Amino acid sequence: MKRYLFIVVVLVGLLTLAACSSGSKSEATPITVENVRANMTLPTDTGSFWMLITNNSDTDDALLGAAVDGCGVIELHDMVMENDVMVMRPVAGGQIAIPAGQTVELKPGGLHVMCMQKAAPLALGTKVPIELEFANAGTITVEGEVVEPAMSSGGMNNN
Amino acid sequence: MNRTKWGVLIVLCWLVGCQRPYQFAGAPLPVPQPAPDIALESADGPVSLHDFAGQYTFVYFGYRFCPDVCPVTMGKLKQVKADLGNRGDEMAVVMITVDPERDTPEALAEYMGYFDDSFVGLSGDQEVIDAVGKPFGLYYHQHEGSAASGYLIDHTARFFLLDREGNVILSYAHETPLDDLFRDVEYLIKTQ
Repeated sequence: MKRYLFIVVVLVGLLTLAACSSGSKSEATPITVENVRANMTLPTDTGSFWMLITNNSDTDDALLGAAVDGCGVIELHDMVMENDVMVMRPVAGGQIAIPAGQTVELKPGGLHVMCMQKAAPLALGTKVPIELEFANAGTITVEGEVVEPAMSSGGMNNN
Repeated sequence: MNRTKWGVLIVLCWLVGCQRPYQFAGAPLPVPQPAPDIALESADGPVSLHDFAGQYTFVYFGYRFCPDVCPVTMGKLKQVKADLGNRGDEMAVVMITVDPERDTPEALAEYMGYFDDSFVGLSGDQEVIDAVGKPFGLYYHQHEGSAASGYLIDHTARFFLLDREGNVILSYAHETPLDDLFRDVEYLIKTQ
């Protein structure tokens, strides 16, 4: 009898742990940020950051802003081609929507986190911490790697 | 006709009539236009597009504040030049600023030198830039930015290739893949 009671207690304990574990995981990571690249090598006052942002939750979210040491000002910008003309603007409303269950790509020639008043160019391969502020998920700190400006997610040959 | 004659005929057909002409990735100009012989300012003094005669010369209109479309283009051209190996010096790259207010010749020299020591940045008075850009169909428009950016500039993202005589022969969309750019330049250098 004692043996059965022991097995039941262990099983209940394991199930409880598993439930807590999966619950805390989904609550802790409603937003995941991957493939963060920092375009910060140029001898100019500007730079940009590209990344993939996934909203794993059932609630719409939005990227409101970012902070990076060495960037005096950061804005969220979008770039589009209109009849072979490059048009860059701050994003409407100052935020990038990250709809529930979707992935939004910040990439060369498109949405990006724009660094202005750059203190100094950074060397290739440098790791750069970036604080991202989301409307619902709060502040998430990720690390980007400094890459060549021509490098998209697939490398230079895919540009 | 015996078998040998048929064979000779087929080979002749392939050599003369069946080979397709090379298809450029760039859009050929119906009639090559001579690039304007108007001096702009480089960090080393006045430079005209005619000074690049003898090389295949890419011409781009951009500005240093531009965070990725301009540097992505320069980065691709840097790679094309590197891929050409010992024939890389038969190709030149020139960026003419559409932001002469912020882009001094010295700042442009530093910017272009980041990509390749041979790349040339040119600035000048707006009227002169307009005159040089006119045959290329250059469009640019300054619009108000934030307190930090001051202003941003929409601009033509196409870039152009001049032949060895300084004629504009091809134009390229910003999205043109690196491999296609390389193939065009390699073909021209080897055959023209």
